[in-house]
Amino acid sequence: MVKLEIDTFSGYKIYPSKGKLFVRGDGKIFRFSTSKTESLTHQRKNPRKIAWTQVFRRMHKKGITEEIAKKRARRTVKHQRGIVGADIATILARRGQTTEARESARKAAIDKAKAAKKAKEGTKEKKTAPRTTTSAPKVSKQQMKGGKGR
Amino acid sequence: MISLKGKLNIIDNTGALLAECVNVLKHKINHGWGTVGDEIVVVVQQARPISATALASSTAIKVRRGDVRRAVIVRTRKPVRRPDGRWVRFDDNAAVLLNNKHEMLGTRISGVVSADLRLKGWGKIVSLAPKVI
Repeated sequence: MVKLEIDTFSGYKIYPSKGKLFVRGDGKIFRFSTSKTESLTHQRKNPRKIAWTQVFRRMHKKGITEEIAKKRARRTVKHQRGIVGADIATILARRGQTTEARESARKAAIDKAKAAKKAKEGTKEKKTAPRTTTSAPKVSKQQMKGGKGR
Repeated sequence: MISLKGKLNIIDNTGALLAECVNVLKHKINHGWGTVGDEIVVVVQQARPISATALASSTAIKVRRGDVRRAVIVRTRKPVRRPDGRWVRFDDNAAVLLNNKHEMLGTRISGVVSADLRLKGWGKIVSLAPKVI
């Protein structure tokens, strides 16, 4: 099987015994399928701007809708996973909570905390009464830290 | 298609830069047109100045302007047909200087040479060339 070359300008296939091979002064090879592409290359035309070349078509995404449709089919499915500290049930429950439910839950927690605090203060007062309060001499933070002597 | 008055670049390290064709040596019939792989007689039109050390030594190659030498064509602007039907064309005409025994005068070649040289029996030049197309 003979290798099919591609035209350096247009991207067309070059069959055996067709076209020309041009070697530029710097050694770069150009393959031309027709004198049209040869002429345009010598005129220093940019194939990206010539509408019928493969380069142009690829750049402007012409006529490749089939390829894109095929690629779209592949999409990863996301799985919801639980993390350490919150298994999937709690995550879903939390997600499903309405704002009202959250508010009421919050309020209940606050009330609970306040009640707990009051109870704590009650027991604390009983405790601190017999004990003599020894207060440490008032020392500024800087002195405590051993601040720089001016 | 190199013939009388045709200018060629010399791409070896003999010191010659530009040469003008004077005669095309083909085996029996002198067509007048030389192509890749043909031996020609050239006159050196431009040459690099020869260094003092080279001037002193008797073995160094001294190619001066106005020298009449033999050369073999390695690149042509005129397309050459390959056996598989391809046409290959280079951007300039180039040659490599030879002595009377068909040996290269220089020791190195710079640039591209045509692969048609191999078919015409210039395997040594092909082996020295950095790139063969």
